[in-house]
Amino acid sequence: MKNNLKISFIAFLLLVSISGAFSQAKKPTIMVVPSDVWCNTNGYMTEFDNQGTKIKVPDYKRALQENADLLLVISKINELMTERGFPLKNLESCMKTLTDQSAEDAMLSSKGGASVNESPIDKLKKVAKADIWMQMTWTVATTGPKKSITFVLQGLDAYTDKQVAGASGTGAPSFTAELPVLLQEAVIAHIDNFNGQLQKHFDDLFANGREIILRIKTWDSWDGDLQKDFGGEELGSQIEKWVSSNTVAGRFSTSDATENMMLFEQVRIPLYDAANKAVDARGWAKGLQKYLKDTYQLDAKLMMKGLGQAQLVIGEK
Amino acid sequence: MRKIVNLSSLVLFMILGVSMSVSAQARKKADKDTENFRYEIEGVGVGTQGTYLIKVWSYSKKPVVAIEQAKKNAVHGIIFKGYTGKQGVPGQKALTSNPNLENEKADFFTDFFADNSKYMKFVSVSGDGSIAAEDRLKVGKEYKVGVVLSVNVDALRKDLEAAGVIKGLGSGF
Repeated sequence: MKNNLKISFIAFLLLVSISGAFSQAKKPTIMVVPSDVWCNTNGYMTEFDNQGTKIKVPDYKRALQENADLLLVISKINELMTERGFPLKNLESCMKTLTDQSAEDAMLSSKGGASVNESPIDKLKKVAKADIWMQMTWTVATTGPKKSITFVLQGLDAYTDKQVAGASGTGAPSFTAELPVLLQEAVIAHIDNFNGQLQKHFDDLFANGREIILRIKTWDSWDGDLQKDFGGEELGSQIEKWVSSNTVAGRFSTSDATENMMLFEQVRIPLYDAANKAVDARGWAKGLQKYLKDTYQLDAKLMMKGLGQAQLVIGEK
Repeated sequence: MRKIVNLSSLVLFMILGVSMSVSAQARKKADKDTENFRYEIEGVGVGTQGTYLIKVWSYSKKPVVAIEQAKKNAVHGIIFKGYTGKQGVPGQKALTSNPNLENEKADFFTDFFADNSKYMKFVSVSGDGSIAAEDRLKVGKEYKVGVVLSVNVDALRKDLEAAGVIKGLGSGF
């Protein structure tokens, strides 16, 4: 009986260690979108008044409904990326899901008549999301009867604002080929170089950790601030120490620090925690939230954006 | 008379033997050139989906050997070297970014690049395979021959990924 127990315990330990070893890093989502320049050039912008300032934003929905070339390029890129074993989120489907979800939320009610909770920030967050934006632009140059296409593909990290991959160039001028043919050719010509750089970005992520952004803020209801002493040092310094000891090789930079806020950029967090579970910015910042609570009895509200951005507002939840 | 026949047969065998040995030596030298990256690749055009259309310049004392070696050089170059582009045709980077991959996976690549082995699956001669006069150059004692080839990069990449030689874009996630 005792032996059986021992064997089961060892088997359980083995199972836990094996499942840990096969744990996979959190996969970033990628979505293809037309650039603002392309939308503006082709007249797919909407204008709204933001407190007296006219602001133009791209109207993706209209662009997708009216421009068949755009659909062709997005579809071709999606097809080629799926071929490479990395399926992308589709912009059009994403926008349809958002519309459907909004309609459903508006109609949803419980048996008792309660409706779904939605704060203003929840409403603001109801937009198409991706961890990496694949932003593309093309322009057609015409010289006499000849046409050529200049194609630009940029991979932009949604959180760090860095361009992590890119490919661009002008195709050979053609007398006869139609625009869709030239566009397909441009995508085929540039996608491998783009993916080469994307692969390098992923290799860097596996070697040096995921790069994230951490924002620290304070509620105005809290009577303390980040320059107040906690444990013999300013709270800001204590937070900096925690960040330093919980990043890969202590890599981060403090871009901004006042008594009310701190901004940490180029924060390299490990892909897995101590239990070998995949971690993202939120999971990692939870550690800081717990540290502040356990060490200084400070409550903090944790908010996140995708895999790479976390925000802690200190003072209450 | 019989003596003359015997003598001429002997001479014929000797000539045949020498020519075979020269051919074998030329092939060996061509393989060595491939290992030492002694070949040039240039983009010719944007190939069909999943392929690269390239011109490979190979060197040999025997033009036939240079033409045959071009296929090996094409696949070798796509994996390890990449190529630069020209006006209207973008260059492409090598499939691997690991500069030591050839040594690290030496066993795999020895079999892969053996004469008429697996690499042949991913390369084909473009058009009827004829070499234009300007693509056959005599440089010193050697010939420099340019052959236009189509390499099935998608299939090649998938094969290398399946063998664990290179990483896929989604691997690790």
